[in-house]
Amino acid sequence: MWRIALKGILGRKARLVLTSLAVILGTSFLSGTAVFSATLNRTFDNLFSDVFRNVDSYVRSTQVIEADFGAEERQRIPVELIDLVKQVPGVADVQADIQAFARIIGKDGKPLGSEGAGPPTFGGVGQEFKGALWTISEGRFALGPTEVVLDEASAKAGKFVLNDKVKVVAQAGSREFTLVGIASYGDVRSPGGATFALFDLNTAQEFLAKPGFIDDILVSGDGSLSDKELATAINAAIPSSYKTETLTGAQITKETQDQIGTALSFFSILLSTFSYIALGVGSFVIYNVFSISAAQRQRENALLRAIGASKKQVTRAMLIESVVVGLFGSVIGLFAGIGLSKALSALLKAAGIDLPTGGLVVPSSAVVNTIVVGLIVTVSSAWLPARRAGKVPPLTAMRETAIEVVALTRRRTLFGLLLIALGAATIIAVTSGASNKWLGLGILFVFSGTITLGPVIARPVALMLGKPAEKLRGVTGTMARQNSARNPKRTSRTASPVLIGVALVTAVAALAASIRTQIDGVFTEQFKGDYAISTDARGFGGLSPSLADDINMLPEVERATGIGLLTVKIEEKGQYLTTINPATVEGVFDLGLVSGTYADLTPETIFVSQQYAENNDSKLGDTIAVTLADAQVKTLRIAGIYEFDDIAGKYTVSRDLTKDSTVINFDLGVYIKLKSGVSDQSARTILQAAVDKYGQGTLLSKREYIDKQSGQVNQLLGLIYGLLFLSVIIAVVGIIITLLLSVFERQREIGLLRAVGMTKSQVRTTVRWESVITSLLGAVVGIVLGVGLGWVIVYALRDQGLSSFSVPVGTTVSILIMAFFIGVLAAVYPAWRATRVNLLTAITTS
Amino acid sequence: MNNPSAATATNVSKIYGHGDSEVRALDNVSVQFETGKFTAIMGPSGSGKSTLMHCMAGLDEMTNGSVTIADIDIASLKDKELTRLRRDKIGFVFQSFNLVPTLTADENIRLPLLLGNNKGNEEWIQKVINTVHLQDRLTHRPSELSGGQQQRVAVARALASEPAIIFADEPTGNLDSTTGNEILSFMRKAVDELGQTIVMVTHDPVSASYADRIVFLKDGKIAGELLQPTPELVLDYMKNLGH
Repeated sequence: MWRIALKGILGRKARLVLTSLAVILGTSFLSGTAVFSATLNRTFDNLFSDVFRNVDSYVRSTQVIEADFGAEERQRIPVELIDLVKQVPGVADVQADIQAFARIIGKDGKPLGSEGAGPPTFGGVGQEFKGALWTISEGRFALGPTEVVLDEASAKAGKFVLNDKVKVVAQAGSREFTLVGIASYGDVRSPGGATFALFDLNTAQEFLAKPGFIDDILVSGDGSLSDKELATAINAAIPSSYKTETLTGAQITKETQDQIGTALSFFSILLSTFSYIALGVGSFVIYNVFSISAAQRQRENALLRAIGASKKQVTRAMLIESVVVGLFGSVIGLFAGIGLSKALSALLKAAGIDLPTGGLVVPSSAVVNTIVVGLIVTVSSAWLPARRAGKVPPLTAMRETAIEVVALTRRRTLFGLLLIALGAATIIAVTSGASNKWLGLGILFVFSGTITLGPVIARPVALMLGKPAEKLRGVTGTMARQNSARNPKRTSRTASPVLIGVALVTAVAALAASIRTQIDGVFTEQFKGDYAISTDARGFGGLSPSLADDINMLPEVERATGIGLLTVKIEEKGQYLTTINPATVEGVFDLGLVSGTYADLTPETIFVSQQYAENNDSKLGDTIAVTLADAQVKTLRIAGIYEFDDIAGKYTVSRDLTKDSTVINFDLGVYIKLKSGVSDQSARTILQAAVDKYGQGTLLSKREYIDKQSGQVNQLLGLIYGLLFLSVIIAVVGIIITLLLSVFERQREIGLLRAVGMTKSQVRTTVRWESVITSLLGAVVGIVLGVGLGWVIVYALRDQGLSSFSVPVGTTVSILIMAFFIGVLAAVYPAWRATRVNLLTAITTS
Repeated sequence: MNNPSAATATNVSKIYGHGDSEVRALDNVSVQFETGKFTAIMGPSGSGKSTLMHCMAGLDEMTNGSVTIADIDIASLKDKELTRLRRDKIGFVFQSFNLVPTLTADENIRLPLLLGNNKGNEEWIQKVINTVHLQDRLTHRPSELSGGQQQRVAVARALASEPAIIFADEPTGNLDSTTGNEILSFMRKAVDELGQTIVMVTHDPVSASYADRIVFLKDGKIAGELLQPTPELVLDYMKNLGH
């Protein structure tokens, strides 16, 4: 059987190529993402071991608050520790380190780097030091309050040369500095596309952070002690009241690498999820190809049976073929994936994320995984068609034509309906109280049920979708419509990749649209002002609280208030508190107070949300212990309960809470209500002037501000585009393969049509419309499924505050238009092949 | 149509291969098919009878010579024009696989007209449908029709566009003799009653005897002609040819 199988494969190279294409497609994403992730990981590992190469010890605070999403806020340490550490025997040199927000303003007045999204913008300390993170490549390090050093990439991007004036915005406001040097980080111009502005120690403390405080100390030893001994010695020298710890260079390197690894692993998981979706969808294409090829070889297989091959042997021959195709396709897919990962790097580079250089890492696990998974998927996709091939009765060999037998069993309908019913029941159970965990299972049931029912619904839906083609294109349209409905199994298998892709995209789009509507509603409800100032500092500081105070004093302004965020520890858990100014908040930003008044909010009190109060059985007068980032513990009395917790969250405190601590307060937004009669034009001019004075924040009208907030959902759109891109590619390839096989199968029919007067362009039209109908079939069913899926997800997230469901009309329409073009595109080559059918051989061979 | 000849072949040759392996499927054949007549082309297998038909119908390219159909020289036509010619001026009946499986009998009959976006002559089409007795089978698809019915649809399709000439390639080859004779009678009727021109390739003397005239081919050359044939005459003639 091996010989027959191998001969069969080599005898039909075109079929081998088509089948392998489906395998290659699926496996290349798998290997591509694995290689890309591994390369990225190693690149950053190398970067940090390089950066900390000459750092022997690392001193930092032990006070840290861990918040959601792996974010952490570590307390700063007093600057006097530098001198203390310097005097420890064995220490050769030290450098103070500060990492804070700083934005470099370009010569055109616009900040460098992308606003909002994109890599962060940092400020720090740059100085001469043996273990320095930064090395000067041009000029010198900054000295004194008027000098700055930029990273190479930023200097280049901003077209700055030495002695240029550079405007930088940081916590203390906006200032102009003289560029005295250009530096690089390890061997890269700027790590991960971030921008850096470096100052001398005093300037950095005062401009970026808080005078008298630094983030950590880098120590370089004189070689007399081992790293471990040095760290112990330093630790012993610092009084425990400072609450610090000393790490060895190896430890901090490892920790940083791990942190980056964790951050990257989100990315890797996302990528590999995509690649497994791709492979899953691709398996439909593989299954389809094997089914069609088994059908087309019916006579050949029947002949084998007639001359004495057993059922098993026929099946085995097909399985052997699938093993060969699986291996062949996976190996090519592996290499294609390596190419793909290079393309991904190039794409990121083009998007401004310059990754450190370093060779491609192809982990052996990726090689093994790609080939094993590719092989398993291929062979299991071929399993059913191979069994069916074995079952072919020997008599078929004597029959005239070999066309796939299309028997739609009642069993299939029942099974499909059963699966959908099961899924629906599971989802209903979840909506009526069962755990969200069951949701995935319910969705899986509905998906499998729909795919099972596919062949049953394919015919009526294809006929319906084909109606316009018939109206538009006459008899060619009629034939396209009938062709797409003539083998419902094949059509539905071909449409499945489109269906799955479209369903996922529609669901995510529905989720995004719902979140957007929600955010829009929340801000419209709570924000009662006319203008807002927003900031993109994102976790690295924000707007100075005095900005809101200044604007509040303006004669044109009725009232302006700032809203901020504070990271604290409550019951040993990191929590965010919303900070407001109780004196100005009323009438501008509405918390929906249920009890208490804003005047009740003092540095000794706290407001909680109604939800929180209900969940924790709290009432007015209860106390909550809050640990600030500088380890101060405040016991706050609940003085008010509010309803609107979408923005404010569980806790709201007065901004004066941190007045007597080292914690710096920021506002993340300033909300402004104008006096009546002030024109928009003059208001904008006056407010803009106030904003410019601080050099930070963006002035937005109420509408602009709300749009910006809901626009954050656009990050979800990235996910949509990723999914869309994958499904488009696989769908196109799937349709191309099926159409090619169908064209091959219908050679005689095409020959006949050409003989009785069908022009080549009419042949192409027929193939094209069949393709379009198939693609639209997948899209229409996918949209129905996706909207349902989106609704279910939104419902499941109702506890997270999502209460309204929106159908993504725009996305749906674009998907339909795109499905149309997918059909047209996929038909190009098969349609051309169809016109190449040799008319004479088609009509004379019988 | 005043021209007595619906189709004319002049010095047509069809040569496969080169040099020693050269095969002359048609060797300088000249023949005319009269308008309003039923002509049969006979000859042993390999005699070139099908090749002649393919060349004259614009389905195959000839190596040398010229063919005119309804006064049009087909050698000068491009693919698109040739396709139009087949659609508008020529009718076809093949031995098997004559119909498009996805279309109804009615759609199959009108197929050449539909492809040309041409309504056709409805009165004529109805007459054709009546002639081949298909009135109550029009909404059926080919898979729901018997072999004989399928060939009747094929004959009706060939007639539907009132072509200048109909080429039939062994139209009864796959049918039993009763059904075959029925089809041949319809073709005869189409010539006698509807004034059509039919050229039929066959190897069966009985089928050939339905024709007004038989052209014999042997080794790619015209070997003779017979007018007003009967099956016996045909058999005798073939014996003389050494068949």
